[in-house]
Amino acid sequence: MTAEPRVPLAALNPGDAAMVVDVKGEGAFRRRLLDMGFIRGSLVRVIKHAPLRDPVEYCIGGTHVTLRLQEARQIIVEQITPPPFCRKEDGSGRGRRPGRGLGRGGAWRRRSR
Amino acid sequence: MAEKKSLTIALAGNPNSGKTSVFNSMTGARQQVGNWPGVTVEKKVGSLSYRGYEIEVVDLPGTYSLTAYSVEERVVRSYLVESKPDVVIHVVDTGNLARNLYLTVQLMELDVDLVVNLNMWDEFLDSGSELDLERIHRLLGAPVVPTVANRGEGIEALLDAAIDLAEDREEHHRHVPISYGPHVDDVLVELVKQLEDGGVSTHGYPLRWAAIKMLEGDRDILRMTTSGKDVSDEVSLHLRDVVARATRHIGVATGADAEKVISEGRNGYVEGALRESMTLPKTDRMELSRRIDNVLTNRFLGYPVFLALIWILFQLTFQVGAYPQGWLESGVAWLAETLGTALPESLVSDLLVNGVVGGVGSVIVFLPSIMILFLGIAFLEDSGYMARAAFLMDRLMHALGLHGKSFIPMLMGFGCSVPAIMATRTLESRRDRIMTTLLVPLMSCSARLPVYVLIAGAFFAERAGTVIFLIYVIGIVAAMLVGRLFAKTLFRSTPAPFVMELPPYRLPTMKGLLIHMWERGKIYLQKMGGVILVASIILWFLGAFPRDASTIETYEQDIAALRAAGSVEAAAAADALESELAAKLAEDSYIGKAGKVIYPAVRPLGFSWEMGVSLITGFVAKEVVVSTLGVLYHVDATTTNDERSLPAALKDPAGGITPLAGFAFMLFVLLYTPCIVAVVAVKREIGARWMAFSVAYQFVLAWVVSFGVYQIGRLVGL
Repeated sequence: MTAEPRVPLAALNPGDAAMVVDVKGEGAFRRRLLDMGFIRGSLVRVIKHAPLRDPVEYCIGGTHVTLRLQEARQIIVEQITPPPFCRKEDGSGRGRRPGRGLGRGGAWRRRSR
Repeated sequence: MAEKKSLTIALAGNPNSGKTSVFNSMTGARQQVGNWPGVTVEKKVGSLSYRGYEIEVVDLPGTYSLTAYSVEERVVRSYLVESKPDVVIHVVDTGNLARNLYLTVQLMELDVDLVVNLNMWDEFLDSGSELDLERIHRLLGAPVVPTVANRGEGIEALLDAAIDLAEDREEHHRHVPISYGPHVDDVLVELVKQLEDGGVSTHGYPLRWAAIKMLEGDRDILRMTTSGKDVSDEVSLHLRDVVARATRHIGVATGADAEKVISEGRNGYVEGALRESMTLPKTDRMELSRRIDNVLTNRFLGYPVFLALIWILFQLTFQVGAYPQGWLESGVAWLAETLGTALPESLVSDLLVNGVVGGVGSVIVFLPSIMILFLGIAFLEDSGYMARAAFLMDRLMHALGLHGKSFIPMLMGFGCSVPAIMATRTLESRRDRIMTTLLVPLMSCSARLPVYVLIAGAFFAERAGTVIFLIYVIGIVAAMLVGRLFAKTLFRSTPAPFVMELPPYRLPTMKGLLIHMWERGKIYLQKMGGVILVASIILWFLGAFPRDASTIETYEQDIAALRAAGSVEAAAAADALESELAAKLAEDSYIGKAGKVIYPAVRPLGFSWEMGVSLITGFVAKEVVVSTLGVLYHVDATTTNDERSLPAALKDPAGGITPLAGFAFMLFVLLYTPCIVAVVAVKREIGARWMAFSVAYQFVLAWVVSFGVYQIGRLVGL
């Protein structure tokens, strides 16, 4: 398990896991994130994007929470590879492997961003 | 028998914790729904008799926290401190203990008498988890009671625990203060001392809690402690100074601001408590939900499934609902006829038959459809699908400046604006509620359809279907444009975040669904029934007066004479005279006069004065536009194909209404102020000032659009 550079949560792909290192933003929005468990040291996983890419579903502390990409940019994380949890249950191992055609992370799909 | 003792229990908890199930299990149908004073947050109070106690149960709004940021959270904390319920039951989703206990910790800090209710205990055990109840009880310092509320299991034990706690029979544990680490703890001790020394009143809030909130930067508490009336300038300055120094100190020492450090402290406490008492689940409770979501929020299947579900909901509402609606319609017609024949012909009978029965009847017939719609919505909500629908639709709705959850009310708007506006309650932020409520009436409701059918049928004959479809599309486009405009002007300041929990899928219970349906249906019946009754009577009065007795008499004598003649031609002439009399009375009535007064305002749109009048009466219900036109053009509105039909009368070149004016009229009916029932619903949800705005903007929009279309159309020679 190696820690990687700090990136916004919005930059991760489905199946990725990361540790929260900072929550930016302010007021009610940031408080809501804190209440939902987005605090330093907590583990978060990207579940899936909505069909139009935004918003995104995340798993944090056993709950599934949705965030818009613009909101996920406020959360700074360190990606953890390989993802250390929630693995077996939802087949994330499969999801990360390239070669699923046009799917996200697939060989035929060029990575945006 | 001794007199019954009374007890107040408040239910607190996260959204999706099954709080409503606990409430329903405790109180059954003995519930009252109202609003918390001063805010549009739903307040539910129920009551029950148990073991000789008369217990009042208050269902607090679902919250994750107790900050000053949201209305709901402010309602909860001020209720707990000011009204001091005897016991607070915190309803916890046991499958998601960590997130839920985060609120428990905050309730502990408020020093309320707390019972922790581990709800959905069955799911928790099924997942293979174990919890040491004795240990968690000791760690939290509060009684812990497992329940399965949707099956009613454990509710009595929960009530017993609450009563024991209220009667001090429960061995009382002092809540252990939570440690936020040395830096924060020291500062808290200092702040509490300063508050005490300064003699600052925290209005019932515990001092340590107030100190924590001051560090978190809680605006309400800061205002109370540093600029309250009883706080001297010296103390106030000093306190501000202490807080500023403390936050700086915490920032330097911990590398994060106080609010974050305190959040982390709470989470740390909860994690520690759980580490000591819980063995982790063997299976992931979200697993099944994730599998379901592989289909329901799938990139390709998500939208088709969503549309199919909505289609089914609409079919149920309007196709299945049409049967009971038909029965009710015949019932109303029968009642009107029976009353009409049983009572001697007089103003009173006219008021009863046409005013009261006709007016209230026209609304009551929608009740079955609305109940079915509410039942369907309750199912979507209770099952957890509504959150997924919001997830799917958020990208589209966000483009209009709305929230994903706004989609359902907008869609319901095609059926009836009233339940649609009531459905905006599922939105969390007030800004989204207001915006959605303002836009919902632009979705063309089913009551406007008869008007389109009439006008499009008269002027566009074989292309009527296309024209009507176009009107619906224009409504949607108008909502998009107006939405974007409002988002850029009126509602710029507060973009609502989309931090939303996707709860696990659950099979709703029939009892819960019926209670939810009835809650909303009851409001529809009570409020709308009352308003419609009053409005119908007023409108009847305005339409029936003033009555020139001599005119009526001359006509009636002529009619009686013709009827006495007995020939076919004479009877036809009598019919003609009767409708002429009706038209004359309508024209001379207050409404008719008002129509003439506003005629200059509608003439630039190409409308006749009769159309102007029908727009006024259409305020009661949009269908009324058709019947008013029927009366004013003295034709039988129900016939369609004979020469004296309403379409023929409208098309008559002598009337001077062009197809272009007809189109402009349909646009006006689409866009202008919704019916009075909808306006009342708007007032209920977002207040009188926004109601006034809603009425005004739609009126202006309708006029401008119709004017533009008619005048530009004329210029290009349509």
